[in-house]
Amino acid sequence: MSQTLEIPLIKTINLAKKFGAFTALNGVDLEIYPGEVHALLGDNGAGKSTLIKILSGVFPATSGDIQIEGNSVKFASPRDASDAGIGTVYQDLALNALTSVTRNFFLGRELRTFNNPFGLMKMKEMDRIASAEMAKIGINIADPEQPVGTMSGGQRQTLAIARAIYFGAKVLILDEPTSALGQKQQMEVLKTIKRVQQLGDIAIILITHNEIHARLIADRFTFLSLGEVIGSGTANDLAGDDIKTLMAGGTEIGDLAKELEAV
Amino acid sequence: MNSAAEVRQESDRHATKKPFAAIFSRPEIGPIGVMLLLFGMLGYFSIPAAEDTWNPFAGEGFNALGIRNNLRVISQLGIISLGAGLLIIAGEFDLSIGSMIGFAGACMAMTLRWGFAILIPYISFDGGIHLEFFTLISLEPVTPITAIFITLCFTLTFGWLQGFIVVKTGLPSFIVTLGGLFFLRGLTEVTLRAFNKKPNQSAGSTTVTEIPDIKNIINLPGHGEIERQAAKMLPETELSDLAKSLPADLVAKITERLEYTAQRVADAKTGIMEAKGVKPLENALENAINSKNEYMINAIKDKIANFKINPVPPKDVTEVDIAKAYLDTLPSVNQVANFFGGDILEPVFDWLYFPIDWNVNNFGNQFAPGLYSCVMIWVLLSIICYIVLSRTQAGNWIYSTGGNLSAAQANGVPTNKVKISLFVFSAFCATVFAACQVFEVNTADAAKGNLKELEAIAAAVIGGIVMTGGFGTILGIIVGAFIFGLAKEAFFYIPGIDGSFYRVFLGGVIVLSAMLNENIRKRIMGNI
Repeated sequence: MSQTLEIPLIKTINLAKKFGAFTALNGVDLEIYPGEVHALLGDNGAGKSTLIKILSGVFPATSGDIQIEGNSVKFASPRDASDAGIGTVYQDLALNALTSVTRNFFLGRELRTFNNPFGLMKMKEMDRIASAEMAKIGINIADPEQPVGTMSGGQRQTLAIARAIYFGAKVLILDEPTSALGQKQQMEVLKTIKRVQQLGDIAIILITHNEIHARLIADRFTFLSLGEVIGSGTANDLAGDDIKTLMAGGTEIGDLAKELEAV
Repeated sequence: MNSAAEVRQESDRHATKKPFAAIFSRPEIGPIGVMLLLFGMLGYFSIPAAEDTWNPFAGEGFNALGIRNNLRVISQLGIISLGAGLLIIAGEFDLSIGSMIGFAGACMAMTLRWGFAILIPYISFDGGIHLEFFTLISLEPVTPITAIFITLCFTLTFGWLQGFIVVKTGLPSFIVTLGGLFFLRGLTEVTLRAFNKKPNQSAGSTTVTEIPDIKNIINLPGHGEIERQAAKMLPETELSDLAKSLPADLVAKITERLEYTAQRVADAKTGIMEAKGVKPLENALENAINSKNEYMINAIKDKIANFKINPVPPKDVTEVDIAKAYLDTLPSVNQVANFFGGDILEPVFDWLYFPIDWNVNNFGNQFAPGLYSCVMIWVLLSIICYIVLSRTQAGNWIYSTGGNLSAAQANGVPTNKVKISLFVFSAFCATVFAACQVFEVNTADAAKGNLKELEAIAAAVIGGIVMTGGFGTILGIIVGAFIFGLAKEAFFYIPGIDGSFYRVFLGGVIVLSAMLNENIRKRIMGNI
């Protein structure tokens, strides 16, 4: 699935971030295409979190440029990023477990009768949309009024993803969506990601530690280490061994076995 | 993997709901049970000792006056627990409610009594350096609506300030509003003593009295605005002139009603006198039975059976009576004062007396004139809060602010605004409570509302509000207020028991409710 001739949906050019004397990101170039899963891989402290926080508007870059469909953008707040079509699904999913699926789906953007927080919510319509949107990416919920707390981790992921897409995300940033889930639920989430990919017009940035998951669904890979890109390419470009090596930050993982023996 | 397992969905693991499961999984079901138990207790224990019945509705707790008084206690508590409960759902606390009641009441009473002025001090150099005051605004006399407005300016600002401090500093609201509790109570006492000092006193009183009975001021032609009680004290000639000036059908209606009352009072008197007259005979009968004197027993029994006294004649209905009854029907000039401190449902309670013949006391008079107005205010506020909490965007914001603050913020919910608004609403509820008290009893005291903040929180917890926030309903808060108020009243009626046992009971109920709430919350969070 090579789409290199297209304009990337989102592109970063020489993106850098400094926290005082510490360089978190040192000139990162990234190209994300619609309909693709772009796996962002790297060890802890490689700068993955910093990168996605810049992309989702949590803090600004020190230097460099972000382009959306060829136009330079600056994000002053997460709201700006979300308005520009970047939806971030954080690890904690930003869900309120005590309230219903629908109330979470529309949290902060409820459909209401008057343009006023005290306008009545259109609960039936919201129920219907929430169910339909989640069904679109593969989860049938029995009851849109069920509390999110009673849902499985995989279902919660799906809810958060469906919500981001429904509210106009063109780029979906998934921050380690499979960590802290059981085997079966990890599979559910991967299926969900695949279905989103097949919608065709949404680009997905997948941050993960799990090489197997990345290899299963990613179309393109970028490897970060110590704030720099140390390798990138499409799934076809990269041979299996490279991924494991690059993920560990470029050091020869094979040496580990010898080192362990020596301990 | 076979194909059957392939099509199985996560949602299939949810058992289909049984018909009544929805009712029994609601968090209010336990409290509603306790409430019904207390209803029964109140009714049963308040049955007069002389009456031999199991019907709880025969008890004093459920006669007209009982309903009037119980609902007053319940609804006053209900008003403040709405504010406290909503704030807890949003994850914060307000311990300043009780002091806010005292402060608001004092503020309202003082402006009603002495007026209101804003003075700007400046240093004057004329005739030596001294302070002078420039009067910016001076209002006197202050109408009830203005007094309430001025009070709201103070209380809502203070509520806003508490909320602002909580969200900006991130301090626990417990400590911030604990400060508010002492600050406001102290401020109330200090201000009252300063303003309320007679020249011959060293320290002023912390009670404001001598406020006119504003809700009962009526407009009487020829006298202008006059207190109802003063109007009834007018010379008899004037009252009978007033009666003569009334239209005939109105006079007929009032006369019919007064004759009914006169007959009821006469019947009640006859009954009382009969009981009194028979008493010596019954004593004699007892003695006769003890001495086994067959002749005397029969003779006394005969006497008791034929015992009659002349019925007391009903009092004549005079023109003065008609005029006084007419004065009672005149509407209050000041509907604002009447809204907070007056009575409601008077026509219903009249109808229950005449012609239904229920709302009657032992002396034949009408028992209760109506319900206290605070009941209506509580119902109105409850309906508004219910709609806001469960049907509007604001309600969803309140739940999410308390349920998962960071999630709410990540989704663009203005959590700080939500919290501050609810602190303001809590202050508003306390002010409404104070307005109800001030206009009802026409006095204010610096000690008013003591411990009310804890009662409000207790009622909310009993009603299923989880202290950590994000969970609870308005129906629950209402039930909580009922339980608290009913317990207070029911234990009062239990014979041979100290009235304070209701506190012992409520203490247990609070802890049990909190445990139950936590259990429900964990079940929903998926931790069980």
